[in-house]
Amino acid sequence: MSFLYCLNPEKHKLRKWREDNHRNSEQIVDVGEELINEHASKLGDDIWIIYEQVMIAALDCSRDDLAWTCLQELKRQFPGSQRVKRLAGMRLEALEKYEDANKQYDSILQDDPTNTAARKRKISILKAQGKSAEAIRELNEYLEQFVGDQEAWHELSELYINEHDYGKAAFCLEELMMTNPHNHLYCEQYAEVKYTQGGLENLELSRKYFAQALKLNNRNMRALFGLYMSASHIAASPKVNATVKKANVKYATWATNQINRAYQLAGRGTKENKCSVKAVEEMLESITMS
Amino acid sequence: MAEPELLLDSNIRLWVVLPIVFITFLVGVIRHYVSILLQSDKKLTLEQVSDSQVLIRSRILRENGKYIPKQSFLMRKFYFNNQEDGFFKNTKRKVVPPSPMTDPSMLTDMMKGNVTNVLPMILIGGWINWTFSGFVTTKVPFPLTLRFKPMLQQGIELLSLDASWVSSASWYFLNVFGLRSMYSLILGQDNGADQSRIMQEQMSGAAMAMPADTNKAFKAEWEALELTDHQWALENIEEELMSRELDLDGMFSKELPMGIF
Repeated sequence: MSFLYCLNPEKHKLRKWREDNHRNSEQIVDVGEELINEHASKLGDDIWIIYEQVMIAALDCSRDDLAWTCLQELKRQFPGSQRVKRLAGMRLEALEKYEDANKQYDSILQDDPTNTAARKRKISILKAQGKSAEAIRELNEYLEQFVGDQEAWHELSELYINEHDYGKAAFCLEELMMTNPHNHLYCEQYAEVKYTQGGLENLELSRKYFAQALKLNNRNMRALFGLYMSASHIAASPKVNATVKKANVKYATWATNQINRAYQLAGRGTKENKCSVKAVEEMLESITMS
Repeated sequence: MAEPELLLDSNIRLWVVLPIVFITFLVGVIRHYVSILLQSDKKLTLEQVSDSQVLIRSRILRENGKYIPKQSFLMRKFYFNNQEDGFFKNTKRKVVPPSPMTDPSMLTDMMKGNVTNVLPMILIGGWINWTFSGFVTTKVPFPLTLRFKPMLQQGIELLSLDASWVSSASWYFLNVFGLRSMYSLILGQDNGADQSRIMQEQMSGAAMAMPADTNKAFKAEWEALELTDHQWALENIEEELMSRELDLDGMFSKELPMGIF
């Protein structure tokens, strides 16, 4: 990190998007294209990383011309670079030339077996071709080597959810929850997976994790609704004893009150809001808890 | 003070103190760029990367295991520590202790380290001692005992001089360590001019020699994991959550992006 004098507000915007990992590709293409065409000389050494950022955004927006220009410039400046090879592979992927892209990534892996980026691109090729079973298998092998890659764990959980293999998806989400204990979104996703799995034990777990997500972020409405749903399902189940039922009814009532409060706050009693408040109340009352 | 203050010639300030500061600083900057030129790529094998990540995962399991359900925690603990086929029990890595003689890359690394850091310091320290000798340069603001005299007052042959008055060589060494923060301001965080950091690394280098210690690291993790118990953090989560109303402040302000769902 050295001093970066942001002479250009556009450059500053691009840097912020790059650091925050935003995927607003159309904006990046607009801003970046202008920067590259008009102000290339003023950017100095930053231009290379901007080329990379704009190229990926251009691939997202199907701007093959712009992507090709960026790639050429990068190839000229960094002839033997693996990072540039990966970008070339991504362009081939965008053109659906999967065979060539695979060859490109294999050559990177021959030089450097520890290169994670190339391996992950190969897996996403499988995903793009719809071969989810193979993608899952490859991703599992990848994760055996690189257990710490959180992005990969998240991707694997998504693949499992698509295959309706909720048990394994829950395992992946547990890894993510352990490495990011304060992230309420992982807790909420985990709770949703457990809720979908069903069964009394899983419902209890899901209720607990919805509560955890709420504790980490009081404003997570989805978790609040999830808490209400899981609590009322447990209360409505015939297999529970009276104390458990009473406790869950209490939880569900509390959740109802909070939901009502939130809807009251939204819009502060404007006309449109009154309808939605009424709708929520009716919905809550309609799920009977005997 | 026990004795009258010494008044130093202001020429000393102009021709000794400031030049030494400049010299130290410039030498540091040059060292930084030289170390960048001489940098060698450290290639890690796949196995090393994989092992370090496994150790991290096991550590995370120990520290944050309380956030996942008990069953999941036990499942993972079993995977690592099981008597017959647990990962830590079974995996033995081929251990090659990287002694300087057998491993040529370590030898060149050590040599480069010495050349860029220790040698200039000795050379320039000696040169400054020889050039700027025979007079008092500056005074350290805290009192020192007489034991420091031979160390800090190299060229000054005065028996009764307070040990706080030091020679130019000690001013040079003060600068070497004091300019560290200047280097991080100008050259960025991981700069090659950072003497004390390099010395720290050399001292802890033995502790960090991962290849030799993989088996030991695994054993240590195994023991630590055996001792870990699962205290589920979510035991009473509902009571804790529902003890007070939700804080919905700022939930519906216009500026908030649609990220709540």
